[in-house]
Amino acid sequence: MDKFAEAFGYLFSLDRELVQIIGVTLKMSFFSTLISCLLGFPMGAAIAAKKFKGRRTAKRILSTLTGLPPVVAGLIVYMLFTRYGPFGSLNVLFTVKAMVIAQVILITPIVASLSSAVIEGNCRTIRETAIGMGLDGKKTFALYLTENRTALFSVLLTAFGRSIAEVGAVSIVGGNIQWKTRVMTTAIMLETNKGNFSFALALGIILLIIALIINIGASLISGEEPCDD
Amino acid sequence: MIKALNLKKTYGEKTVLELDELCVSDGEALVIVGPNGSGKSTLLKILAGVIEPTQGSVEGVEGLRYVPQQSYAFKRTVLENCMLSAEGSRKEKQRKSLEILERLGLSELADKKATGLSGGEKQRLAIARALVEPCRLLLLDEPTASADVEAAELIEDTLAQYKKATSCTIIMTTHSPKAAMGIADRVLIMNKGRRAELGTPEQVLRAPESAWAKSFIAGWSLDEN
Ligand SMILES: Nc1ncnc2c1ncn2[C@@H]1O[C@H](COP(=O)(O)OP(=O)(O)O)[C@@H](O)[C@H]1O
Ligand SMILES: [Mg+2]
Repeated sequence: MDKFAEAFGYLFSLDRELVQIIGVTLKMSFFSTLISCLLGFPMGAAIAAKKFKGRRTAKRILSTLTGLPPVVAGLIVYMLFTRYGPFGSLNVLFTVKAMVIAQVILITPIVASLSSAVIEGNCRTIRETAIGMGLDGKKTFALYLTENRTALFSVLLTAFGRSIAEVGAVSIVGGNIQWKTRVMTTAIMLETNKGNFSFALALGIILLIIALIINIGASLISGEEPCDD
Repeated sequence: MIKALNLKKTYGEKTVLELDELCVSDGEALVIVGPNGSGKSTLLKILAGVIEPTQGSVEGVEGLRYVPQQSYAFKRTVLENCMLSAEGSRKEKQRKSLEILERLGLSELADKKATGLSGGEKQRLAIARALVEPCRLLLLDEPTASADVEAAELIEDTLAQYKKATSCTIIMTTHSPKAAMGIADRVLIMNKGRRAELGTPEQVLRAPESAWAKSFIAGWSLDEN
């Protein structure tokens, strides 16, 4: 039990390193989620609603990528950005940027498949209505997104949850460097290995709290009522 | 003029529409009637470009507005729904939208969320969205289907006035003989995806050519509905 007490000690004393780690984690997750959604929502809408050559293949590739093991994504980004790799000169490896890139590779397919499943539900009706109103393709496409904003927002929260909890890829490409690329998950791994359970526990508690906030946010926004009155 | 030639639509083995020729002149109102499943909606969807015909072609469709049988309300206010299809500055869009909403008896609901409207109100909103700007061709799929007597009258009056004001071509399906006779220059009766009868309302009412059309019309009671 004293481990818990110590963990709360870290939390309430706002331990400098703890706060810094949380900051890096939130920054990484924010940008990963933002970019993944900016890419994934339109991809999802296109796959759900647009007729184009290779649509099926795209769908299949996407659902395959959904199951991409994080360490593989990490490995790919590592090889691309390692000093003598194709993008080595950019000096991105072992920075938060590299972590965001790996996360975007991991999360975009998830965002795209989830949002295409959402948009498939009503894109026919929306398209028919939009054609009837004389709206052009651009406006119609925007309606696929705005008409599904609630469901897409929970996709966004899912993406954020993924990104904040991910460990394999970010430890490979970030290197878990103290004060720089150390995030909550990689810190938990390290501290657990060192036997410093209370610090790991403090981080774990914060992760749980964030997950809880996300869930509360999701249910507030979807405002789901039970079918049974 | 709208000209549809050799239209055919099949789903799997089933042919749901087969029309050799259909011409509608500019400014004409064609009303399509027929039992459920006779292919009325399919024909309208093809004319609107929502679905592709399996065979055949459609010419002369431009400046079209189409109100589907099932109305969809966008997740915004009634006014914003209407403004989506209006043109001009924000102010103008608002003015035009309020005007048509007023005509269709929806002005009190203008600031309400459209998704909460009743079926009949949603249908009038869909009509409002179609009429907010003048168009060349107006396609309406059972525009009074969910309307009560009063709303149906409102819709019919609005359509008649709109037609006069814009001289647009109207193609409309309906189950209401009164609505059909009120606006039609010609009536097309469909059965099993085919043309059963086509002519002016008088021709179709007085001297239907086929026995099937005769019995179909006999089912109409023009006093009711
Ligand atoms: N997407 C579809 N797939 C299979 N059958 C369809 C489809 N759409 C319409 N049909 C069939 O086509 C026929 C004509 O339908 P429809 O044009 O909606 O008739 P109406 O509007 O006259 O009631 C019906 O038998 C219907 O079941
Ligand atoms: Mg129909």
